Amino acid sequence: MIVARGVTKVYRIGPTEIRAVDGLDLSIEAGEFLSIVGPSGSGKTTLLHLLGLLDAPTSGSVSVEGRETLGLSPRELTRLRREKIGFVFQEFNLLPVLNARENVELPLRYLKVPGPERHRRAMEALEMVGLSDRANNRPAQLSGGEQQRVAIARALVTNPTLVLADEPTGELDTQNTCRVIELMRNLNRETGQTFAIVTHDPMVAGYTRRVITLRDGKIASDSMGAEAELACDPEAPTI
Amino acid sequence: MLKYVLRNMWRRRARTLLTVFGIVVGIFALTVLGALSARLNQQVRGAETWFTSKISVVPSGSGLFGGSDRYLELSKVGEIEAVPGVKSAVAGFGLLLSDQSTGFGAPELIVGAELSKAQDLLNLIDLDRGRILREGDEGKVVLGSTLAEKFEADLGDTVELRGRDFEVVGVYAPTLSAPDGFAFVSYRDALDLFREVNPYFQVGDIAATIDVIPEEGVDAEELAARIGESVDGIKVISPAEAEKQISQFSLIFNAILLGIGFIALVVGGLSIINTMIMSVSERTREIGLKKAVGAETGSVLSEYLLESAMIGFFGGVIGVLAGLLAVYLLNNATSSSQVTVFSVTPTVAIGPVVFATFLGTAAGLFPALRAARLKPIEALRED
Ligand SMILES: Nc1ncnc2c1ncn2[C@@H]1O[C@H](COP(=O)(O)OP(=O)(O)O)[C@@H](O)[C@H]1O
Ligand SMILES: [Mg+2]
Repeated sequence: MIVARGVTKVYRIGPTEIRAVDGLDLSIEAGEFLSIVGPSGSGKTTLLHLLGLLDAPTSGSVSVEGRETLGLSPRELTRLRREKIGFVFQEFNLLPVLNARENVELPLRYLKVPGPERHRRAMEALEMVGLSDRANNRPAQLSGGEQQRVAIARALVTNPTLVLADEPTGELDTQNTCRVIELMRNLNRETGQTFAIVTHDPMVAGYTRRVITLRDGKIASDSMGAEAELACDPEAPTI
Repeated sequence: MLKYVLRNMWRRRARTLLTVFGIVVGIFALTVLGALSARLNQQVRGAETWFTSKISVVPSGSGLFGGSDRYLELSKVGEIEAVPGVKSAVAGFGLLLSDQSTGFGAPELIVGAELSKAQDLLNLIDLDRGRILREGDEGKVVLGSTLAEKFEADLGDTVELRGRDFEVVGVYAPTLSAPDGFAFVSYRDALDLFREVNPYFQVGDIAATIDVIPEEGVDAEELAARIGESVDGIKVISPAEAEKQISQFSLIFNAILLGIGFIALVVGGLSIINTMIMSVSERTREIGLKKAVGAETGSVLSEYLLESAMIGFFGGVIGVLAGLLAVYLLNNATSSSQVTVFSVTPTVAIGPVVFATFLGTAAGLFPALRAARLKPIEALRED
């Protein structure tokens, strides 16, 4: 599905060099449900951006579904990204002037999907995350957990083969974290979509099948996860 | 996209409204002055037919619109008529209808012409009703359209000009120019009135202007040059020269208009640039997000161009509406003096809106390019 070979990302701040990602090899198969963990500053976000073609490595290469991305123009990268990859960011995920449905429609708009179909698919995606009744609410009228679910709906609406989430539960309480992870895992099981979730929450990592640990931009360990069953409390209030 | 852009503008309504207001002020001024200039241009164009269909002869040192207290000897008429190619030379005499000037545009004049030869001249303007003056019409008057309205006079009525009664025998159709404010009488009557008004100014038979109509097929420019060579003590204004003098009039005004437009351009343009730069930097993360979910450079660019174009467009529409309202009120306020000061033409109403929209788009170009070129990750990292 996605293969990174010897990827390195170097940031230069004046005379100092920061090797945020350092000669890293990683292969993710289609249908995986994995987490990327590690201390703050270990390079998780940078790696996710490299895998998601948002950023170009200083050296090394990333290929998506067997297609080498090195040397593609920004425009070709944008195309590839919006067709294959969905993103969920930690915070500030939604455009405040758009309501939930319009936020979800956004990637389809850029894919030039006609209006009625866009509308229908956005409503389907909101249905999937259980928020079809909040379609006309703006982000400010939604709880943090609901906002993240809308962001997930937006990541899913294009039917991407790979969903990359950067600390999607970082700002959520236990119950909302549980719901968001449950949602992603059910989708992974039902649709076979690949999920890579960056987190520093051991509980979240515990729910995944594979856990990649980063330290100083390198893979410190790559192991099987506990893949514990989720037990979210359906009675708990959403915030 | 338009809906989205409008919502973004509404987010910072105070700032957006202030920026729009900056455009409104400039466009308002542009509209009012545009209407003023349109009116002046109409006058000038109307005056052109009157002044450029003939050769005007004035005392040397004088101009097309008078400007000297010198007069022509009546004997010059004969000398000019002797020049080959001249069909007729008509002595004319003009004096102000009243000593109080109306202050705007062409003054109201009593214009006297030698009726025995003035048919061609008096036919240069279309009649609305009645007839033109003919030989022996002493004590009769043909009024320009504005004067007819002012006196509320119709055919057969009597009007008082400089203390003397005249019978109205004709009314000219509006030309939107100087002759609308003329009262045409016989040369004799005009000269008599002049003598009555200036009792201590002893004059013989004089003319203020001599209008020359060329014979059929004779080039007016060449004829004008020939008259100038053959007759002494006169100044000949050929149709081309008259046109030049008249267009200088509107040139000055159009230059003022251009100046106002330029100020509106600089002030409005800078405030749009400023507002758009603020918008772009406030929304850096949003732009990053959009790019991350698949927005191409072009779509971000057009979004921000549309926003600044809308600021210009709204400013333009409101400015023009305010300007038109002002023009309407001012025209009403001055209507009693029979002088229309402003003219609303399609250019006056639509031009400033187009201008403002274009200005907005141009001013937005730099900030929009900045937004469009943002790299998604850098934009997302921004706090
Ligand atoms: N744009 C940048 N410029 C300079 N240094 C950066 C930049 N982005 C990240 N870094 C540095 O790279 C390292 C890895 O950052 P990041 O990938 O965000 O780590 P994590 O997500 O694991 O906290 C950190 O030391 C961070 O300070
Ligand atoms: Mg991070």
